[in-house]
Amino acid sequence: MNLPKSNDNGEGLVFNIQRFSIHDGPGIRTTVFMKGCPLNCHWCSNPESQDFFPNLMVRDMNCRQCGACEKICPEGAITLTREAGRKIERGKCSQCLVCIDACIYNSLNVCGKYMTVGEVLDEVLKDRAFYRNSGGGMTISGGEALLQWEFVMRLLRAGKRQELHTALDTSGYATWQTVEKLLPFVDLILWDIKHLDSREHKKMTGVGNHMILENIQKASKTKTIWLRMPLIAGFNDSDTHLAKLIDLAKEAAVEKISLLPYHEGGKSKCEQLGRTYPFPAGKAPNDERIESIKGMIEKAGMRVSIGV
Amino acid sequence: MVQIAQELKNNIASKAVRNVQRGYTEDEKMRGLFRSEIKLDLQRSRLMTESFKQSDGEAVVVRRAKALAHVLEHMDIFIRDWERIVGYQTSSPEGLFHPIDMNWRSVKRLVNSEAGKTLLDDAGRQELEELCAYWKGKCMSDRHQELFEGDLAKYWKYEGTFLWTHLSELGIPDYEALFKSGLNGRIKMAAERLAEIEQTIPPDYVDQKEFLRSVIIVLKAVINFAGRYASLAKEMAASEQDEEKKRRLEDVARTCERVPANPPRTFLEAVQFFYFIHLVRYLEYSTLGIGIRLDYLFGPFYEKDLQAGRITRDEALEILQLLWAKFLELGLVYSPLVTSVYGGVASLQAITLGGTDRAGNDVTNELTYLALEAARTMRTIEPSIALRVHDHTPDELLSKATDVIRTGLGYPSLFNDGALIPLLKKWGVPEEEANGYAVSGCVYMEIPGKNITRRVDGYFVLAKCLWWALHRGVDPKTGEQWGAKTADPANFASWEDVFAAYLEQVRFFTTKMAQVENTCRDLYAKYCPRPFYSAIVDGCIEKGKECKQWIYPSMVHDMTIVIGSTNVADSLAAIKKVVFEDRLVSLPELIEIMDNNWEGREDIRQACLNAPKYGNDDDYVDLIARDVHHGTEATMETVKDRFGFSKRGDGSAVSATYGLAVNTPATPDGRLDGEPFADSTLAPQPGMDRKGPTAVLNSCAKIDTLQTYNHLLNQKFMPQFLEGQMKPVFIDYLKTWREMKIPHIQFNVVDKQTLEDAQDRPEAYQDLIVRVAGYSAYFVELSKGLQDHIIDRTEHRLA
Ligand code: SF4
Ligand code: SF4
Repeated sequence: MNLPKSNDNGEGLVFNIQRFSIHDGPGIRTTVFMKGCPLNCHWCSNPESQDFFPNLMVRDMNCRQCGACEKICPEGAITLTREAGRKIERGKCSQCLVCIDACIYNSLNVCGKYMTVGEVLDEVLKDRAFYRNSGGGMTISGGEALLQWEFVMRLLRAGKRQELHTALDTSGYATWQTVEKLLPFVDLILWDIKHLDSREHKKMTGVGNHMILENIQKASKTKTIWLRMPLIAGFNDSDTHLAKLIDLAKEAAVEKISLLPYHEGGKSKCEQLGRTYPFPAGKAPNDERIESIKGMIEKAGMRVSIGV
Repeated sequence: MVQIAQELKNNIASKAVRNVQRGYTEDEKMRGLFRSEIKLDLQRSRLMTESFKQSDGEAVVVRRAKALAHVLEHMDIFIRDWERIVGYQTSSPEGLFHPIDMNWRSVKRLVNSEAGKTLLDDAGRQELEELCAYWKGKCMSDRHQELFEGDLAKYWKYEGTFLWTHLSELGIPDYEALFKSGLNGRIKMAAERLAEIEQTIPPDYVDQKEFLRSVIIVLKAVINFAGRYASLAKEMAASEQDEEKKRRLEDVARTCERVPANPPRTFLEAVQFFYFIHLVRYLEYSTLGIGIRLDYLFGPFYEKDLQAGRITRDEALEILQLLWAKFLELGLVYSPLVTSVYGGVASLQAITLGGTDRAGNDVTNELTYLALEAARTMRTIEPSIALRVHDHTPDELLSKATDVIRTGLGYPSLFNDGALIPLLKKWGVPEEEANGYAVSGCVYMEIPGKNITRRVDGYFVLAKCLWWALHRGVDPKTGEQWGAKTADPANFASWEDVFAAYLEQVRFFTTKMAQVENTCRDLYAKYCPRPFYSAIVDGCIEKGKECKQWIYPSMVHDMTIVIGSTNVADSLAAIKKVVFEDRLVSLPELIEIMDNNWEGREDIRQACLNAPKYGNDDDYVDLIARDVHHGTEATMETVKDRFGFSKRGDGSAVSATYGLAVNTPATPDGRLDGEPFADSTLAPQPGMDRKGPTAVLNSCAKIDTLQTYNHLLNQKFMPQFLEGQMKPVFIDYLKTWREMKIPHIQFNVVDKQTLEDAQDRPEAYQDLIVRVAGYSAYFVELSKGLQDHIIDRTEHRLA
């Protein structure tokens, strides 16, 4: 498979800039989603963020079966039949992306775009009036934003120069040397915790958590942190695990804990990417359990929010 | 209180009209225009006819005064079991008001059609027939028919570009002055004026004398009307066994003896005073709207009662709920054509809350909050609430307003003083008076108490003007030259050329509209004077002139509702991109493709659909939208009304963006033949805004209110964005809206039904953002399972 060349022009690979983002830090924000992630969480709700190259995304809903893509595909990966409609054989597809322009019905789209810091910032600054009134700003998320740390650092720095409130949404999976470089330009870190036991962590995300936990300890000395954790029944919702989470939160003096009950948001996107959804059995704890978890954390004296 | 609210609603027959003009399927026809229990009320028509037969030969103003007095004296009256505020527009609770003096033909057709057959029984149809025979040639619409010739007759009829209406005259009585003087004070004023002209003998002595005498006739009749309610209440109280009901009836009797003859002293008296005036205004003439500044007007009475220990908060709330019930009772018969713009409407009544006093100070008081509470508990389609927001509006009020919006009522809708007061000043309204503006229905701005009798003269389909510009004003089907003879599109070298031709069409049709409107007003001034309304606004008695003989000196009163501006902007952007930049087709080719409703050329339609669309904070098209709005208004302003004031546009949309779109063929924005337009002047085309609610506001803010008109903006939100931890963020969003000086915003809080519709028709809901745990997403992008989950949750939240 031909990977598109990584960018030499100092551009970053962004897969979405979401305005009116009101859950990635305080106030009304714009969240810049960086593409590429070293983790591979089964429940990922943004699977299109995982690869560090632009992906072909397919929305069958929009396809009018005009056949234009079939004609243009150099790999013969697309077939159009009356019975099955337009099918893409992902094994043959080289992600050359020429079919995207051929499709006028927006059924074939690219996910991921190389952008300069200036281009991203221009978009972010458009909502400045909303940030000012709501105490919002810019959040950089992913994928894993630290993967493109150099670009992200420049973007954060430029944001600070514009006096934006900046937040970094990260799993923290990078060397301390990398994390350290960004900290001067970050007002708030949204730290995504998956599991506090390294083996469990590795089972569901593909990597261990030592580096992550070390980084939290270090970063917490100077930075405001919110912990975020997807709440997945049978994986990280046990009392013992939550007790550990609370300990960590206290140790790192985090401002609040956000629990995001699992949902199958990644499923339709996996379909669009031509992948099978890796977590069909995923479940959120039931409402009662979520309430009791909330109570438990509050009792420990922590601020907690559910789904925000 | 909630229980009272529910009981009240169960007891009141809704007179909201159904939209049958569009999608007029067999099934909908069977459903009828009104609910089956609603009956056309003939009593007013009968009494008016009786009186008119007797007054033949007298001056029109006197005849109309006598007719109204006759109705008020003889109409059947009744007091219902729960009422503390009394007065009825019709002779029975299920009665539907019909202004036979305006129009009878469409109503006669209606009661003989499937859609309206339940409105009358056979005897009723027979009587209507007889009454119509008298009004033949005398009702206003017949007078048009008879008078209009040539172009006037031609452009008066609806063809698809503008719908002229004289359905209603809005305006807000001078309640502040009336509460000080009572109607007795006004009678005294008229008598003094009469005495004065005996001394001065002005050149229009006869007109003045006839008018002032009419004023006295109607005002006395209104006092007498209230007296009839007082007597009835007394009679009923005498035979009432239940102590509580007895007390209530005695209260009613006392109140009706006092008001509206004398100034009100208590909250209850003020409300009853107002309601008599409101009612008779509706009875004199087919009218819509309310427009009172409820908190500003009644707040001081309520606060005084509270201080004196005469009333509790709960009692005051009950009085407001009873008032809401009265509003709900009002209605009007509509013809099927008019339902295309008024689908779902009963009387288009709105009340105003908040804002500033004449000096510019905030007026929020206890009653502001109580009125929101009444709205929340009553959950009625009318009255809608217009909340005026300015720099000193308390956060608490924004917060309470958010709670009401969250329930999915669609109101309060928010009006931005920072944009609208400067606009009113530009229209010639002095600052003090502009500070006191109110909204009477939809986004109709009014200056309370001023002689502003006529508002909407029609609905103007701007998208159709663009269509004419692409056809040199010639209807390709008939070959008839209907619009202006603009240049041949084959010679257009840029989108600006198309725009210039569009503005020429706007000018052409505005001129036609003005001609129709100005002659109609002349006609109404002559044949349809309003002595009662004249008596209750500022200046008529003083001048000895009926309200149609002069006008409050401002362009605030003259408006034409403009529709489809977003489609014009998107179309011009598509022409710019597809024709002049990408050169996929030539302009004549595009027009041909479009005229075939894009058949066989879906590729071109998609290219047009993919061109930049207004509402995404993209200057490419937003600046075109700005030019469209600014240019349209500037062009309309060059045309003058009967009193020499400029015409102007208006953003009130009602349901016309949907109903009137039927008669506009495909447009270059990719819209199909007959497809609805964007639902308001500032709104993006549904499904075309993909950058969320901040981008929409940024797009709106590029249009300068001062160079345009008052606008309307609908935003769709899920209830979850307005509650819990997100509520403060929503309020910050509102504050940014205020700071950006966007004149208006209202929210459709998405309910289960909308979400289900979005599942069925994803293409129309591309912009619908929902909150899934932890993130927001476009609803149509989610898996079916997750969509279902959200639907369940939403239903749960709104319950
Ligand atoms: S070009 Fe687009 S619409 Fe046509 S068959 Fe391919 S995916 Fe479907
Ligand atoms: S990206 Fe599209 S055109 Fe390219 S190989 Fe894959 S399917 Fe074929």
